[in-house]
Amino acid sequence: MKNKTPGYRRKEIIWSLIFIAPPILGFLIFSLTPLITSFGLSFMSWDMFTPAKFTGTENFRYMLEDEKFYKSLYNTIFLLLGVPLGMIISLVLAILMNRSLKGISIFRTIYYIPVISPIIAVSLLWQWLLNYDYGIINEFIWNILGIQGPNWLGDPNWVKPSFIIMGLWGGVGGTMVLYLAGLQGIPSSYYEAAQVDGASRWHQFKHITLPLLSPIHFYVVVMGVIGTFQSFSQMYILAADGGPEYSGATIVYYIFQEAFKYFNMGYASAVAWVLGILIFILTLFQFRLSKRWVYQE
Amino acid sequence: MFRKGKWVSLSLTMVLSFMLVLSGCNSGSNSNESNTADSKTDTKTDTKTEATNATPDKDAKSVIEFMGWGGDSEKAVFEKLIASYMKKYPNKKVKYTVVPPAEYYQKLDTLIAAKKTPDVFYAGGAHFNKLVSSGVLLNLESQLSSSELVDTNNVWKQGLDRYRYDGSKVGSGDLYGLPKDVGPWALAYNKDLFDKAGLPYPSAKAGEYTWDNMIADAKKLTVTNERGKIDTFGVAAYSTESAVWANGGDWVDPTSGKITIDTPEFAEAMQFVADLSLVHKVSPSPDDEKAQNGYARFVAGKVAMFPMGPWDQPGFWDLPFQWDIAAWPASPNTGKTATWLGSLGFVVSKNTEYPEDSFALASYLSLDKDSQKENYVLGQAVPNLIDMAKGEFMEVDKAPHTRQVFIDIIEDYGRPPIEVSSKNTKWLDTFWQDASQVWNGKKTAAEFVKEEQPKLQKLYDENNK
Repeated sequence: MKNKTPGYRRKEIIWSLIFIAPPILGFLIFSLTPLITSFGLSFMSWDMFTPAKFTGTENFRYMLEDEKFYKSLYNTIFLLLGVPLGMIISLVLAILMNRSLKGISIFRTIYYIPVISPIIAVSLLWQWLLNYDYGIINEFIWNILGIQGPNWLGDPNWVKPSFIIMGLWGGVGGTMVLYLAGLQGIPSSYYEAAQVDGASRWHQFKHITLPLLSPIHFYVVVMGVIGTFQSFSQMYILAADGGPEYSGATIVYYIFQEAFKYFNMGYASAVAWVLGILIFILTLFQFRLSKRWVYQE
Repeated sequence: MFRKGKWVSLSLTMVLSFMLVLSGCNSGSNSNESNTADSKTDTKTDTKTEATNATPDKDAKSVIEFMGWGGDSEKAVFEKLIASYMKKYPNKKVKYTVVPPAEYYQKLDTLIAAKKTPDVFYAGGAHFNKLVSSGVLLNLESQLSSSELVDTNNVWKQGLDRYRYDGSKVGSGDLYGLPKDVGPWALAYNKDLFDKAGLPYPSAKAGEYTWDNMIADAKKLTVTNERGKIDTFGVAAYSTESAVWANGGDWVDPTSGKITIDTPEFAEAMQFVADLSLVHKVSPSPDDEKAQNGYARFVAGKVAMFPMGPWDQPGFWDLPFQWDIAAWPASPNTGKTATWLGSLGFVVSKNTEYPEDSFALASYLSLDKDSQKENYVLGQAVPNLIDMAKGEFMEVDKAPHTRQVFIDIIEDYGRPPIEVSSKNTKWLDTFWQDASQVWNGKKTAAEFVKEEQPKLQKLYDENNK
């Protein structure tokens, strides 16, 4: 049977190969090759001009003593605070948006707009909003409370909170849509049954809504952690040279500086791999942990 | 199932990466050997061949890629200069690329790594040292001596010497670039504000106007508005380099490679700069700077004294007030003053197809009479040609009127910026990042420099030796 139509089959195979070639080639050239190259480079010292030198684990040993590496890692971990905050706000918004009011889709759109805005433009906008002297936020604080607002981007204690606030503004819209979809997937019969049993609104929320949304919580946490570990653009624009006392630099920003400012390509690759492994371990850990709390239908 | 699949892909990746490491090392060490051997013989043969045909063949066709950075005004100037060059030599084509300043070295280094180095390009400071040490640049020494295009006696020695490098010390060794400009960092002042306060203008002669005079004047020039906020500042962005050098301190001793910030002279000068805002309240604080930088404030007429370079002239010509430049204030302890003399150079790639034509273009842009005239008329720079700078440039009927200050800085008390002695500026960037603790008063300068010295020493040793 099989050998009866070999020409047809071969043609089919060729065509199918042609059709799947672009993504596979793209992956091989633009993802796998750099991945492997950077792994190799992390054991070398390379300044882009002179040939790379093999230095063994020197880069990793240096990292252990590198003050700026720890500082940028700490900054990044601090920014993780934005993940739970973002979830709470998005969930509240999603519940508010989960109604059949007239014009509700307009509100949903408004909250979603920041998600699709280019991050560079958003950063420039926030640079204005957060300005110490003439920024709208401090002007607002002055008008309401009559006190001078903080120096958002100039004070080492306020740079990271500024990034978190910015991240919330830009991120809650996307998470809200996910929650909205989740909320609409919960059958209303569950609530009706609970009402019959005399459960209060809070109880309904606590025992029906929250657990049934757990796959979405899980997705948002995992993506949020990964996204935070990879944040870069805001820092590049708003925290020139790492911000005050290097308190605005994230780990990816640090990698960028090492690679493209000081041209320590080998060291930058080493930090990138450590970051990659860190994200991998954290994600794995979350998957393990998820068995205990994520509700599977 | 899932597990099995993961292990397969994991081990596959491992094998692949292992292969790469092996092959990477191999090719790395190979090219290493051949490259160093190449560069040694190259420089020798290069100088020989260049010496024999140093004058460019005017009829031969060539296409030269020239890359620089700059905003719209600089781009316009260079487009004009290049157009006139191509008119002068109809067979020589120039392809000009402009890159935003912030991305320039990233782009350049990527091009170099990809072996697509432009023929002629900008380089300066620490980057210049790195490019020379890595063997990327063409040695211009022989072309310089045999070319009739350049009269070295008529070029600022301070400008040319910036592009001599022997691998450890800037200023000695062969020439690897021609100055695009020399940038004397001068002190501009708002004449109208001085008049309003009834103060005499700061002296243009070095050593006459001291820190104490400046603080006294600045106090009278600083004005507080009805809300209690300072509206007009006496001075902004006072150059720390100027204070430290004038007081007899420095960041690093380039011969021994020792970081020298932990001296009393250094700490005292740094404290003086910090106190301008912390104690005397005559200069914008770091918070004020964040809100609106010194440049914006000076342009708005809200700062009486502010540093400027020649490239600021076109912007300042449109200002609605009178201004001029003065010598940098001198340290009362030494009676001396100092400031930095910036510079950027035109350099030529070692792998260029047209070494003679590239040199001809670089020297045209750097030293041709017409191009230099065009450059200063547009307010970009002080001419590189000494006779022009001391002659017609002095007679220009536009601010600043005491142009002698620029010349004095070039000839007398201007010093190369700090990073000129290094190949990698991580140590210096760290210094400026950490220095904010002094500017905002969290630490005294004396405490700070003591703590900072070992840290900087470590960074300097790692990257510059």
